[in-house]
Amino acid sequence: MVDNAAIRALRTMDLIPYILENPGISISSLAAKFSVTEKQIENDLQLIFMCGLPGYTPYELIDIVFEDGIVSVIDPQVLDKPRKFNKSELIVIALGLQILIDINKSNPAQLAKLQALSKKISKLGSSNLITFDPVSTNSVFLDHIAKAISEKKHLEIQYNSLIKDKKTRRAIDPQSLYFLNGNLYLSAFDLDVRSDRVFKVDLIEDCTVIDYSDHNNLSEPTKLFEVVLDVKKSHRNFIERNSSVISSSLEVGDRFEVHIQISNIEWLKRSILSNAPGITVTSPSLFASELVESANSVLALYQA
Amino acid sequence: MERMFERDKDELRSMGVEIEVKGLDPLFENDQGYLIRTETFQLNGNEFASDELLYLTMAANLWHDSALSNDSKGALLKIQSLSGPIEFNVFNSPVVRDNENSQMLTTAFEAIEKHKKLSFKYNGSQRSVEPLGMFMRSGFWYLVAQDEKIIKSFKLVRIEAKISTEDGAFLKPEGFDLTDYLKKYTEEEVFEAEILVRKEQAYSLRSRHSVKEYDSEWDLMFVPYNYEPEIIENLLWHGQNIIVRKPLSLRNSIVSRLEEFING
Repeated sequence: MVDNAAIRALRTMDLIPYILENPGISISSLAAKFSVTEKQIENDLQLIFMCGLPGYTPYELIDIVFEDGIVSVIDPQVLDKPRKFNKSELIVIALGLQILIDINKSNPAQLAKLQALSKKISKLGSSNLITFDPVSTNSVFLDHIAKAISEKKHLEIQYNSLIKDKKTRRAIDPQSLYFLNGNLYLSAFDLDVRSDRVFKVDLIEDCTVIDYSDHNNLSEPTKLFEVVLDVKKSHRNFIERNSSVISSSLEVGDRFEVHIQISNIEWLKRSILSNAPGITVTSPSLFASELVESANSVLALYQA
Repeated sequence: MERMFERDKDELRSMGVEIEVKGLDPLFENDQGYLIRTETFQLNGNEFASDELLYLTMAANLWHDSALSNDSKGALLKIQSLSGPIEFNVFNSPVVRDNENSQMLTTAFEAIEKHKKLSFKYNGSQRSVEPLGMFMRSGFWYLVAQDEKIIKSFKLVRIEAKISTEDGAFLKPEGFDLTDYLKKYTEEEVFEAEILVRKEQAYSLRSRHSVKEYDSEWDLMFVPYNYEPEIIENLLWHGQNIIVRKPLSLRNSIVSRLEEFING
């Protein structure tokens, strides 16, 4: 966006209450927070220094100090509060609250507060024309996991692995929580196999903080397999959902030639079989034969 | 200079700042001045309790790694201008990751709000649609829009190239309600699949549906579904550990899919 006078005026209106609530903040932090250069922040501070209410005596001017790259507001005059949320910001907050409501269904105290806040936000003018399907994840361990990440604690989890189709107990160093394709995942370092792993949170069946003495998070080298797939256009959901492991995708007529680099070959086998016949393996041929063999074994059950 | 001043005032008004033009000095009534009342553009400092500010931070922070990151950042700045520095814990709450195009989302949001038509290429053909709303499903954004008098959903990641607004506004179809539309969209007939599940296998299914003992090798399970391709995908995931018994149509679909896969 071009930094014209109006945008600059709005940024100064945002800067003053922000500095007021975060006294002693550095110019470099402000530049990062407001996505502008340090020079621009310095210019804005110079501008604020000369602004005030009618009368324009020292008593009516905004009183701001910035020395050695550190800023504080002494007297903001009337600019002591932030601007109201705009429409898009209200949408982001309203959608975020809806997700928090969905994932806190098993926590009645938090749920009631979140629902009340959500009503308050909709009264401020958030749009009901932008919405989303409820999030199905409803883990009782969510707070527990978030706390362990903050406090850098290790966890032992009982995990119902979709790929291995068995329950396993694992010692992990939890790193971050994120939603992808509508599911909530935990990214963690698996301390037993010494490798990064991703866990679907609603498949975690038990979770306890453990004292794990070995703090070495150095990963063992991971072997990556390169696989080329032929994906029918009707199955492009597969490409959209797994873009993080897809190195290239080329549309050829009604199909896509998809190159994948992956360490978890068992996941890929199950994904291809569950999308049959929409996805086939172009190479390596040995992997293609292995999948046809698996499909034959399943088919044999129906022909018995 | 005067034109620049007028343009800047218009820009501020378009950003939601109300500017009054009035006589500000009682002694010189004919001298006009400009007034922006703080209550028209500022948040009320007592509007949110401290725990509410924490939830607002978590809600806005959810989107900081997504296509809505700019709006998330803008909202967070304002919240932190009411709350001061936020506990570190908040930033370990979940975030949404997506592959959406932020420019596309912003353009679509604005078009919905301002009733502007949108044009884009979808499934190889050029569309000119009247956007009515948006929803997110399974991590993907969909645009609900009227295209040649029919209300349809368009998956945003499938929009090819650029999305742009057209001049002029349109009238929203009378009686359209996004929530009702989505209800109709999702309210499909529920069927039930009767399946055999190999003992000590398919734990993810076992955690969601109860089983009955069938014989020494298999258990019996009933799984509700409303969309055949989806249940086929879920069941084939378990390979040799599942056999569909009923309905016959579902069983036959699985068999024909496997045969087509094997025969290439």
